[in-house]
This record gives sequence, structure tokens and C-alpha cells, in this order.
Amino acid sequence: MISLKPRSILLISAIFRVGLILVGEWQDTHMEVRYTDVDYLVFSDAASLMASGQSPYKRTTYRYSPLLAFLLIPNSFISRCWGKFLFSASDLFVGLFIRIILKQRKVPDDLCTYSMLIWLFNPFTFTIGTRGNCEPIVCAIILWIIICLINGNVVQAAFWYGLIVHFRIYPIIYALPIVIFLDPRFFRSGTKPLLSDWTSDPGKARQINSELIDKCAVCDVWKSTFTRSRILFGLISGTVFLLCTGFFFHLYGWEFLHEALLYHLTRTDARHNFSIYFYHIYLNYERELSVLEKLVSFLPQFIVQLVLILCFAKDLVFCFFVQTVAFVAFNKVITAQYFVWFFCVLPLILPWSNMKLKWKGLCCILLWMGAQTHWLLWGYLLEFKGKNVFLQLWMASLLFLAANTFILIVLIRHHNYGPVFRQHTDLKTTKTT
Amino acid sequence: MSTLQCNRLCFHLKLAILWMFFSGAVFCIHVFASTTEVETNSDAGKFIMKSYFENYESLHDSSFEDFMAHQLSSSLCQGIPDNWNVGVRLSVRELSLIGEGSHRHLSSSIRLQIGAASIPKLPAHLCEVIVIQRLPLGVFADPFELQNPHKHKAFRDIAVFGDTNLELPSFQSNRSAVEFHIDAGSNILFMQNNGTEFNLLLPLHARYQPLDESGYSVVEIGEPDMLMRCSVEGKQHKQSCLFMSPPNEKAKSTSATVAWKIPAGMKAHAGFVSVITFVTALLSTLSIVYASMFWSGTKVSKT
Repeated sequence: MISLKPRSILLISAIFRVGLILVGEWQDTHMEVRYTDVDYLVFSDAASLMASGQSPYKRTTYRYSPLLAFLLIPNSFISRCWGKFLFSASDLFVGLFIRIILKQRKVPDDLCTYSMLIWLFNPFTFTIGTRGNCEPIVCAIILWIIICLINGNVVQAAFWYGLIVHFRIYPIIYALPIVIFLDPRFFRSGTKPLLSDWTSDPGKARQINSELIDKCAVCDVWKSTFTRSRILFGLISGTVFLLCTGFFFHLYGWEFLHEALLYHLTRTDARHNFSIYFYHIYLNYERELSVLEKLVSFLPQFIVQLVLILCFAKDLVFCFFVQTVAFVAFNKVITAQYFVWFFCVLPLILPWSNMKLKWKGLCCILLWMGAQTHWLLWGYLLEFKGKNVFLQLWMASLLFLAANTFILIVLIRHHNYGPVFRQHTDLKTTKTT
Repeated sequence: MSTLQCNRLCFHLKLAILWMFFSGAVFCIHVFASTTEVETNSDAGKFIMKSYFENYESLHDSSFEDFMAHQLSSSLCQGIPDNWNVGVRLSVRELSLIGEGSHRHLSSSIRLQIGAASIPKLPAHLCEVIVIQRLPLGVFADPFELQNPHKHKAFRDIAVFGDTNLELPSFQSNRSAVEFHIDAGSNILFMQNNGTEFNLLLPLHARYQPLDESGYSVVEIGEPDMLMRCSVEGKQHKQSCLFMSPPNEKAKSTSATVAWKIPAGMKAHAGFVSVITFVTALLSTLSIVYASMFWSGTKVSKT
């Protein structure tokens, strides 16, 4: 049992990240292989342009909201490391928010600590922020939205949601589950929703779940679709998104719209990446893909997202997790930074999983890392040794999708599914023993 | 977790973050911070390739040679009866490709010779050697990589012209060229008879190639074009003018090219790759749908 206090964990994490940033700076200066992510240089250049009154989109391959460049303006006059510290600080906030969410759901201390450690000391996640990748900011905001929702703070959740969709687009996949989640049985005017506490008793949770399903008649669902909280969430988040987008469109015109939004919606990259579609796209790049072909490649993503939402929306955190894993796995382009999107939610679902680390959990971890390493090996031969291994690399991406699918199914199977909220009338019967 | 505990934790986190920023910023500024700023090409007018692209839309060998032969002639050094007799010789001693895979370095060893008999004809001035490396369709140079001050401090200026889109495959991109300006030394009068040598190491990256049945595409990179530009004291102000090697010495031999073999996709794969890709996606979809519908809202009893 780990007896570290949360503040000690956060302090050690902070010191560790400072050290990594400094080592990274040394490496960039003295070694051929840079520690800093090439994207960080793009952000910094865009921020310099913005600081001098120019459009950040003059920097080629800058495909983010101007907000990011704005946040990194101090790179130009305080220190070029400013952005890395900002991202690492967001990293620490993710760790804190993980603890806050789990404590609110009465998860035991040791599980909370393990969950924090899974994020804060995951080699993948601590290198992301210290190398200058902006994903920790997105993760922190997503978790803050979850905190707002579980505390019944719909207005604030809507504000941050609108902002984060403007910032990074992909959280749009959470729109429908959030709307379903804002069930009028739990979100009543003037009343804070009651959280379902964590329980190690599968029977109790099954009882809560079945009661909710019994009461959830089709006609009741239809009648309660347009409720105050749902309309409020939609209006506020939509307004924030449109205001941000409109403001930056006014400043930077079509270049902003194309680079920051439309590019991501229509992006197909023929260059090798983890996606199973990369070779198909490359082999067909010289001809225009038919509407049917585009539809067929979009359908798996659409179907999986819809089914996952309908099955798991009430267990919002788990729904976010499975949606994100599936979204990344079926995307036309997959880069390593996308994995952070579901890594930040993973610690939140583990206390509800029946899967033991020994040996099923360990097998899943090794399978996922093995499939990735296998792909990276062929990628290395193609990119750094100049061997024609396109076919092998494509097969490795098929294996990677298979591994992701298998692990997702195993996690679904071992998850103690339960709605986040319970009804007020159920208070006495659902007290944990 | 109580509100008080949460507030305390938030306070400690804020302290930790503040300390992190302060200590890290101090270190970064005083220990590792490089004060070198990446300069953009402030005086773009001095670049020959900029003048080229003001007259032509894209880079073609014939257009470029025409530009070099005719439009630059007005910039040749005046007042010297026969410019070719100055005896400026710029030649490529060695051209090679270093490295493997999609990221390599083009190494050029350039010799600058000025005939001893010609040296008295050259007034004391500041000269720079201009090297223009035209790149074929299949490769590109990253302009931001070339601005790295640690790697390229020997150069007065470097710039990339033409298609600088780093992401497009070769069949959707246009050619580009890299122009180097190297300080030839302020006192050319004292140059030795055997001249001086410059070594250029240009990082290049391969684009995705058109499909090829052999599985590879060969891209050839030729010798760079070279000139010397000197600042001459005019009657009223300093002017610059160009020296070029005599035309008969500029003819490039076929051996003065390097070949880069780049992997390419094979058209024969197109059919089955598409089918298997979609079948795999479909199977994964069905598996996840089945698992979700079968296991949602149920419990797995603990072992």
C-alpha cells in the first residue's frame, strides 16, 4: 500500500518535470537528436509572429487555434521554455483533477493514489508536456469539465466545453454523451445531483443500474429530451465556440478557418502513421476517392461512436474513455500524441475495473506496447533505412488496430458499469456498507 | 475529499507550480538560454532566387539557366574590360549524399580560385560566395531547420525558395532551391593560388514518391550553381556586382550528380490493401458493437 501524500506526489512530479525540461534544453543545445518536439518550435514561431502583430498562420504547419500562440507569447520575452512549463503545469493539474474526481466518488485513498501515479509517472505522459506538446492543456480542461458536470455546474461545464472544442475539435465527440448525461432525473433546478459512490460490491451497482433502466421508458426519454440543463449546455457551449471562432476569423480570415478547423475535419495524410488507412490513402492519392469510398471509411467510426454513446453515456467517464480509444483507433491519421487523449481518462475508470494487473492487466499493457513497437520497427526501416516495407508497415497497423480493439473489448467486459448519478429517492437504499 | 483539504491541496499545487516556473525560468535564462534569435530573411532583395521567382512561377532548369545567362548579366561587375579575365573559378570538388533513409545530408565541397595574375585587378572589397542548390521534385529542405543557428553559423545567409510545403507528396508539389551566402573573406588580395574551399552540408528530406512497380523511385541531384558577389566602392556609394565562372567551365558532367533511391508504393498493392483495410475496420467495428451491447450495464463478478 502506498502511503505517499498527494502533495508529496505532486511536488515530486513537479521537480521531476523541471529536471526533464532542463535536461531537454541541454540535449537540444549539445546533441544531434533534439528532445523538444518539432511542434513546439512551430508553436513558438507562431507565438513570435503573433507577438510582432502578424498572423500566426504565416508559420507553415501551424494548425491550432490562435489561443495557443497567445499562451506562448511569453516564449519570446521571458524564456523559450515558458510553454513547456505551462504544459507541464497542466500535466500536474490533470493529476490533481484525477484525485478530486475519484475522492468525490468516495474511491478509497490507495486507489486514488495509484490512479494519480498512473498519470503523473507514466513515461508517455510526462514526456509529452516536457517536450512541448500542448495536449496536457486539453486533458486538464476535459477533466475540469467532468468535475463541473459531477458537481452540477452546467454553465461552467458548457463554457469550458465550447472553448475546448474550439481549441482542439476532437472533444466534439463528447457532445452527445454529455447531453444524454444531463438527465433531468438528476439535474434538477436548485439541487446538486447525487453521485453514485464507488463500491466494491458488484451487486449494489447492478441494482442501481437495473432500476434506472426499468424506469427509462421510451416515452419518458422522448419527453425529457429538451430540458433546461440540456438546452443551457447546448446554447452556452455553442455560443462560446462561435464567439471564439468568429473573433479569430475576424482577425485572421479564411487562413485561420482553414488551418485551425477545416484542415482537421478533412485531413487525410498519405504519409505513414499508425492508422490502417495510410497505405490505402497513399496508393489512391493520385486519383480522387469516390463519395462511396469516403463514406465507407467514415462508417466504422460513426457506428462505433454511436453504439458506445448509447450503451455507456450514463457512465460518463467510462463513455469518454471508450469513445476516445475508438476515435483514435479508427481515425484516418493516428500520431502518438493522440494517445494522451485517453490516457488522461484511464486512471478515472480503473477503480471500476474488475481486471487485475496480474496477469490480464499486464498482458493488455504488453500487447498494446508490443503492437506499437512492432509498428515502430517497420517505420524505422522505412524512414531511417530506406527499405520498401510499406506492406509490412501497413500490416503492423492492422495488428495495432486489432490490439486496440481487443483491449477495448476486455476493458468493457471487466468494467463495473454504473451511472455516475443516483436518484435522490434512492439515498437510503444505496448507502455503502 | 473535503473542501478544506481540496483548497489546501490546490494551494500547495499552485506553490509547486510557481516554484517550478521560477526555478526553471532562472535556469533557462542564465544557463542554457541561447540569445541567438532566428532571423528571418530581412534583406530578401539580395537573394538571387527571390529575383528568379519574381519573374517565373516555378523552378525549371531551362528557365533558371535562361535567367542566369541573361537577366543576371546586368549585375555583372562593370569597369573591368573583360569580366571573364578576372579568373574567378568556382567549382565543385566533391558531391555526395550522406546518410540513409528519408533524411540525408547533401555534402558539397566547393573550391574558389582566383588567378594570381588577376588579383591586382580586383579592388579591395567584401565578397561572398553564393551557392544555389536546385532540388529535384522528390526532395525538399526544411527552411526552419536551416535557420538553426548552431548548425549553420558559418553562413551569412541561407534561404529556401520555391515549394516549401513539407507535407505534400512529390506528385503534388513543385521544385525548390536553397541559396547559401558564404563570406569569402574580406581581403581577397591575399588569397593563395590554390584557392579556398567551402564545405556545405545541406539536410534534405524525401517526399512520398509516385507509385512505382519496382518499389523505388530514383531522384537525381545535380551540382549547385555558384557565383561570387563583391561590394565595390562606387563614386557615391557601395555597389555590389557579380562574378561568374566562364561559361565553358560551367558545363556540368553527368558524373557530377548524386542519386537517391527512395521507397515508393506499388500499384499492384492497391486492390487488396483497400479491401483488407475495410474488412479489418468492419470486423473491429462489429466486435466492439457486439461487446458493447452484450456487456453494457452488466457486472462481471469478481474472481
